[in-house]
Amino acid sequence: MSRLEAKKPSSCKSEPLTSERVRATLCVLKGILTSSYGPSGRLKQVHNGLGGCVCTTSHSSALLSNLPVTHPILKILTTSMQNHVSCFSDCGLFTAILCCNLIENLQRTGLTPTTVIKLNQQLLCLCTSYLKSESCGCRILVDFSRPQTLLCLVRSIVTSKPASMLTREETDHISALVLRAFLLTIPDNSKDRLILGKSIIVPLKGQRVLDSSVFPGILLEMSEVQLMKILPIKKSDAFKVALFCASLSGDLSDTGEGTVVVSSRVSLENAALEQLLNLGRQLVSDHVDLVMCQKVIHPSLKQFLHMHRVIAVDRIGVAVMEPLSKVTGTPPIGSLGSISPSSYGSVKDLCPAKFGFKHFLHLIPNEATICSLLLCSRNDTAWDELKLTCQTALHALQLTIKEPSVLLGGGCTETHLAAYIRHKICNEPESILKDDGCTQTELQLITEAFCSALESVAGSLEHDGGEVLTDMKYGHFWSTQAESPSVVNWPDLLSRCGCGLYNSQEELHWSFLKTTRHPFAPQTCLPHEATGSANNLTLDCFTAKLSGLQVAVETANLILDLSYIIEDKN
Amino acid sequence: MVMACRVINKRRHMGLQQLSSFAGTGRTFLGPLKSSKFIIDAECHESVLISSTVRLLESLDLTSAVGQLLNEAVQAQNNTYKTGTSTLLFLVGAWSSAAEECLHLGVPISLIVSAMSEGLTSCIEEVVSLQVPIHNVFDHIDSTKTFSGLETFSGSLCPFLQIPSDTGLQKEHDLKDVASPSLTIYNLSGIPVKSPKLFRPQAEVEADKNTLQNPQTLKNSLLTGNHYRKSILIHSRHFNRTDNNQWINKPDGFLEQHGAASPHTYRCNDLVELEMGLSHGDHNSMKLVDEAVRLQYQNASMRQGSCTMPFRFDVSRLFTCCLPGVPETFSCVCPGFVTVVSISNSALIRELQNQPLRIILIEGDLTEYYRHLGFNKATNINTVLESMKVQDSSEELWTNYVLQVLIKFHVNLVLVQGNVSEHLIEKCIHNKRLVLGAVNSSVMQAFAEASGAVQVTYITQVNENCVGSGVYVTFWRSIPSDVMDRINIITIVIKIEGINLVTVVLTSPVTAQMQSKEDRFWTCASRLYYALKEQQVFLGGGAVEFLCLSHLQILAEQSLSKRNHICSGWLHNTSSWLASSLALYRSTVLKCLANGWHKYLSTLIYNTANCSSEFEASTFIQQHLQNATDSGSPSSYILNEYSKLNSGIFNSAISNKLEQIPSIYDVVIPKIEAWRRALDLVLLVLQTDSEIITGLGHTRLNSQEAEDFLFL
Repeated sequence: MSRLEAKKPSSCKSEPLTSERVRATLCVLKGILTSSYGPSGRLKQVHNGLGGCVCTTSHSSALLSNLPVTHPILKILTTSMQNHVSCFSDCGLFTAILCCNLIENLQRTGLTPTTVIKLNQQLLCLCTSYLKSESCGCRILVDFSRPQTLLCLVRSIVTSKPASMLTREETDHISALVLRAFLLTIPDNSKDRLILGKSIIVPLKGQRVLDSSVFPGILLEMSEVQLMKILPIKKSDAFKVALFCASLSGDLSDTGEGTVVVSSRVSLENAALEQLLNLGRQLVSDHVDLVMCQKVIHPSLKQFLHMHRVIAVDRIGVAVMEPLSKVTGTPPIGSLGSISPSSYGSVKDLCPAKFGFKHFLHLIPNEATICSLLLCSRNDTAWDELKLTCQTALHALQLTIKEPSVLLGGGCTETHLAAYIRHKICNEPESILKDDGCTQTELQLITEAFCSALESVAGSLEHDGGEVLTDMKYGHFWSTQAESPSVVNWPDLLSRCGCGLYNSQEELHWSFLKTTRHPFAPQTCLPHEATGSANNLTLDCFTAKLSGLQVAVETANLILDLSYIIEDKN
Repeated sequence: MVMACRVINKRRHMGLQQLSSFAGTGRTFLGPLKSSKFIIDAECHESVLISSTVRLLESLDLTSAVGQLLNEAVQAQNNTYKTGTSTLLFLVGAWSSAAEECLHLGVPISLIVSAMSEGLTSCIEEVVSLQVPIHNVFDHIDSTKTFSGLETFSGSLCPFLQIPSDTGLQKEHDLKDVASPSLTIYNLSGIPVKSPKLFRPQAEVEADKNTLQNPQTLKNSLLTGNHYRKSILIHSRHFNRTDNNQWINKPDGFLEQHGAASPHTYRCNDLVELEMGLSHGDHNSMKLVDEAVRLQYQNASMRQGSCTMPFRFDVSRLFTCCLPGVPETFSCVCPGFVTVVSISNSALIRELQNQPLRIILIEGDLTEYYRHLGFNKATNINTVLESMKVQDSSEELWTNYVLQVLIKFHVNLVLVQGNVSEHLIEKCIHNKRLVLGAVNSSVMQAFAEASGAVQVTYITQVNENCVGSGVYVTFWRSIPSDVMDRINIITIVIKIEGINLVTVVLTSPVTAQMQSKEDRFWTCASRLYYALKEQQVFLGGGAVEFLCLSHLQILAEQSLSKRNHICSGWLHNTSSWLASSLALYRSTVLKCLANGWHKYLSTLIYNTANCSSEFEASTFIQQHLQNATDSGSPSSYILNEYSKLNSGIFNSAISNKLEQIPSIYDVVIPKIEAWRRALDLVLLVLQTDSEIITGLGHTRLNSQEAEDFLFL
């Protein structure tokens, strides 16, 4: 008997952004994000309240993926931020905070969404074309002959996450390792196009961070007993490898629906095992030295292979299958049926290795761009954060090799960009107002909203009650302690700007970021020698930040444009 | 799905407060004299007796986020090092109060983090000067001096008092607030329970054995026990070296003095000295460890012959066999595998003894339906019988098959890592074959190496190559049979020539104590393991902590005068104002950190009953601190005065044994790692400002809690 239930009517809400609840929740979300931003950001304990594991983090991907928000507007926001993070890894918090700031500021202007969106789009274009232009004052071209710039980029990313609990020495060590791991993924001789390899992060929790290291090739974790069984490894020039992704555990492959009836004299298990042993015989006659299986190998097959001095390693997991197939130069074998001699790959050498309390089999490739980054940390929480951070840094390096530029970090790009836009709009408003039918006042309002949104992202770097300032020459970001006396000698109180490029001893004038100031033209075109000599710059990934800027503005536009939310309540 | 989010530090830092209250529960576990606690579940009236930090945390309700992080940190320390957890727990408490104090004084969080981790790093660099190198301790291993020789004054360590919870002891509710509502922690008496039995003359211990049978008299002995506190304790981890000349006179160069001006240089090249120093008062456990090491050493030198590979103490080849209900004194160490079997096997064992047996090793279960990990059984297969012939059940068939294999390969002994089918065991007993289940994997490995057997998963895999030989099974009769009969078990020993396996038989008349006895044995074993592995130890007894304390105080003074200092962490290459104002706050933060050490030391002294109050202990430390600072170099002060420290406190009772009082040592890396873990946890919690709870319905929060939460 089926039961029919009347459908509930859908609900429809107009002008969702004006609702008090939406504003309050947006405000909470923004609070969570801004308080996590930057190297002195506060951490969040994320857990399910029922005894699940506690994740202490300030990483955008960990935060956003764990925020199961209910309101559609917040959903749009978090989803588009997650999209950004999954494509670029870096600048997730920047994007999310900027988006929240934009929504808040633009809504306050009270202009019609059409005007807002149109002008917003124009301002975004202005930003991107400036950032990409030759004359950009906050972009540095990466010189690959000097690793210093890349190292600064990695270090900036590593230090931006306090939950990884690194000391200074550990930060240097990890930054150098990440850069080394990245360099190992670049092929030696690439002809027309560059295909980057992969760095696999191998966990080793409970050890000291300084014990972390990088190895070319792959480390397969094994139990000591298992490793003892395959030792000693006979020496040869190259090891012939069979790599299986199909299970060799001897269970029956999918029997489909319905019931299979077999006679008691027939043993399906034995038949399956016999098939496996046939496979084993073929592997032995093909002189395979090493059999690896993503899933389980039947103990009897293992015993058979061992008797014929073939090393068998099983349960290696899906994560390393792709790198393994790269290292061995063969696609994984998916069926037990037809195995041709061409299905085998090879590795140069094998050796057992022990790090901390874990045992590994180390596969050394002939020439491949795969390396293993053995990452150690004292506690689980810090390890998880460190892993995320290293992945972000590796990704940022990959993006940088495609687009060899970096942006000045530490808030300087944001304030510089805001100064540039302000000045541009003040002096050449007609370039934007040409045929849009917007008034100059509207443009002024939107520009102010846009620029102060950018500036308050930079201001979010400050969490300890300090004051933030900007200088009137470069438009860079400076910070000082709160309640400075009204008449102060700024050059003595300030040391360097946020990115570390300029110091306060130059003839500069400062103004608080929150106060209004006359638009000025920030100095464009970074002098080459300035960037070349500086060793401790804070840098941001160019591609990620540019995309973050675009995603933030476009998401804000989308949300501002919403006039109805229709929800199916069934 | 609803997300809730709670702001943690509105006014006070809740996380830090939770940490310090959790840590408060373990205060009495610090030092060699650990008082035990009963933890009673108010709902089902079950109680556990615990005497270590790890077991304490296992029994507490730690479902809050901070509690879980704490548990995670302690578990990680315990899983890696098996020692240092009480230190970790205590320092978590002390330093979270320190961090809170800094917050109170208005120090920005980032600066607390930076200055504290810098301070600890500096301490760790400083204490290198108190490391004692270990040299060739195995060179003199064959000499007559053994651990048991030193044992005479140690008596029996028995930090627990085995009293049923209903003997009318005072309850103490001071810890109730930190435990979950369903848990109440009782101390056995008004004051934290000391261990009155420690280091009593042997006669007293003997007397105790009698009292154990009678809870009432035991209770009396507990209540009168406290008068021993001051007079008889001669050995503690803290500062209680009573004589300073003996070391220089040691013939084996235990301590040398290079010139008059330079500080003492300590060296350790005697195994017994090392073990005594690392026992931290638990002589009984360390004595067993000593015997185990000696057995392994003899084993290794026999196996190697003339080859001179350096000997390595291998903890993974130690196995413990617990026999509850057997008096304490029967604990012992013996080569091979000692295990308990059911009484029904005795005829079989009698049959099998005195002849070499063939053995197979099965990893996994030995049951009909066991399949290896990763094998998925198809659910939709029906088996049909084609004839109506009466057949044995499939279990019978399988059992017979197993038996056939055993007979075919002349196997009389089967060791199985997992479970074994009951039916099979019975059948095998009839056929004069012994099958033992639930065998530890390192035992399996040891037998594989010594007998040549290869571990297999299924009985079908057995072939001639898998079978090992030369194994002997016999009754293990080191415990008088009348004792064993009383507890109705039989113990057997399985041996083979050259097996690298030592079984430590732990006995205790009280079942509730068994667990902690085993824990304490492993703690001693791993202390010795790490000391031998690192080839160095710290001067113990609080010396390193004392140096940290005085070092931090000096640093704090210096940072007041010297402004520009290199800063650590992320601050070193940042241009934030925080970097430049670190100098302003550094001294404040370092002082708070130092206070943590001070608390640690005074609790340690108080717990070891050297002082009657924590205040007295604190004054005592203060006094030495002043001297150390005045001397100009705290580390040389400690090295020179180490042996004199505390000499005024103990004198009379032990004067005749002076030459036997050993130095006290601590393991290096486990200790430092415990410090780091403690500070990491505190700083992690300090930097946390909100708690995000995922997937929680509105309903599950009670109304009072819900006020603190914001919903998204």
